[in-house]
Amino acid sequence: MLTYLSNPQRFMAFSAWAAPLFFAAAVIALGVGLPWSLVFSPADYQQGETVRIMYVHVPAAWWSMGVFAFMAAASFVGLVWRHALADVAARAAAPIGATLAGLCLITGSLWGAPTWGTWWEWDGRMTSMLVLFVTYLGYIALWSAIEDEEKAARLAAILCLVGAINLPIVHFSVEWWSTLHQPASIVRSGGSAIHPSMLGPLLTMAAGYLFLFGALVMMNMRAAIFRRRVESARARGGEA
Amino acid sequence: MIEGGWTFVFGAYGVTFGGLGVLAAVVALRLRHWAKRAKALQL
Repeated sequence: MLTYLSNPQRFMAFSAWAAPLFFAAAVIALGVGLPWSLVFSPADYQQGETVRIMYVHVPAAWWSMGVFAFMAAASFVGLVWRHALADVAARAAAPIGATLAGLCLITGSLWGAPTWGTWWEWDGRMTSMLVLFVTYLGYIALWSAIEDEEKAARLAAILCLVGAINLPIVHFSVEWWSTLHQPASIVRSGGSAIHPSMLGPLLTMAAGYLFLFGALVMMNMRAAIFRRRVESARARGGEA
Repeated sequence: MIEGGWTFVFGAYGVTFGGLGVLAAVVALRLRHWAKRAKALQL
């Protein structure tokens, strides 16, 4: 499938119908997840209503890491096989991942204030997530700072692969260091520790975020391909 | 149990859906801009 889509023409044909489909799926999942998480899911016996922040915070945390892993995989392909579409995919995903990482930090702060009594703490999880956010910004800045796109792609790919070292640090930070965050409670040996009445809306919101990422990354890639075509035509003197 | 907390909940949802909405709008506008230019050049 990936080999098939690595051809820009095929990708454009595929994404023309897949991006709106993914966007519609995101609207449906978030449309179901929003009332489920805000109204129909129960309050927590300790955290009360503030537990509802989990449904927007945790998917943002998951996918900010997932998007960076996607970018690292695309960067690796771009770096090793010099595949232009892989670089386009990595670059297209960066602003989406940066937004998710930013939302994770803000919503985490809004959750921490009433439950922990602090907006911010320099613990392992929060600090490593902040590093991830800054890495996203550095990656975006690097692409913008270098005019030669081939050189920018190579350097950005190296930065992305180095930055990916932070992903296991974010994930295992709650086990490696003493932290305000609780250990993993969903993906863990012995099954999920979260009640199904809360797991349902959480997974629905996470699916909504994933579909939205799929739609937006395809749209961003399409814009980048159109831009390259326009600039190539201009360089050939095709534009009046 | 923590009492209240709705201000924080609404704040978090507002920031999230506002942020995602702005992101989607920017991506859509950027795509429209370049698609229009490519179409104008019959690419």
